[in-house]
Amino acid sequence: MKNKLLIALLALTTIVFSGCASGPSYSAYRSNIPQLAPEKGRIYFYRTSVLGAAVQPAVRVNGSEVGSSTPKGFFYYDCAPGEYVVETSTEVTRKLSLVMAKGQERYVRLNISMGFFVGHVYPELVDNSVGTAEIEKCNYTGVKNSQ
Amino acid sequence: MMKAPLATVLVLLVCAFSGCAFDLVSVKQMPVTLTTDLGGDQSIMLAEAATVSIGTSFPVHLKANTVWQKIGRTEFGDAYTSKDQVLTVEASNIHEAALVVKEDSVTGFYLLLEKKFCPASSPVKINLNKKI
Repeated sequence: MKNKLLIALLALTTIVFSGCASGPSYSAYRSNIPQLAPEKGRIYFYRTSVLGAAVQPAVRVNGSEVGSSTPKGFFYYDCAPGEYVVETSTEVTRKLSLVMAKGQERYVRLNISMGFFVGHVYPELVDNSVGTAEIEKCNYTGVKNSQ
Repeated sequence: MMKAPLATVLVLLVCAFSGCAFDLVSVKQMPVTLTTDLGGDQSIMLAEAATVSIGTSFPVHLKANTVWQKIGRTEFGDAYTSKDQVLTVEASNIHEAALVVKEDSVTGFYLLLEKKFCPASSPVKINLNKKI
């Protein structure tokens, strides 16, 4: 009986964490992040929650895929100053509109909420003090695209 | 025999919700003109925290001791942004915004990308330390 319970627990843990980011931690990778070009801005995207780990929609910025919302993962996107719409889609599309300035670094947390059939992932702009603290617990997932 | 009605209910539910956009709530957006008239107070400091309702489930919380720089003037009041606090208004989607203040009351928010005004449910008096 104990063995069955242990196997079930192990299987559940594997399912929950198998979708998590497995790259280097933020603190280990930080020194590899290039310095921001003076004419650009940088958006860090990260997801702290492992809830709904199987739900990992692409993150799109102005329609282009720049990464995915991997649990415990982070990536960054360098962009020209201007107006941006960040989108994540599951059974519904959630959008965040923001304006980037030259030399600005900003943090977007990818949150998960309940859905009807699937959880919803929604991007939220957070204070830099919150972002810099929370991203420490995440692992690098890679950059797909920069402007 | 009992499985058939259950399957029917499930199919009906799927049909009912498959076309549902889930995007049920939007922030109210009104036309507005922002002019870069920087007369009056260039920056203000919020002496006390305040909460402003915009009629969604997500009231906007303004932190105490935050400094706000004027970016322009609208017909609803002067618009300010801050380096001390990220300001967004939220419903199904989230919009970065500037604070709009008229006669020491928050009248609403200027949506920076949409260039529209999102009114407060009712003006909220705020305690300001005016700076030069």
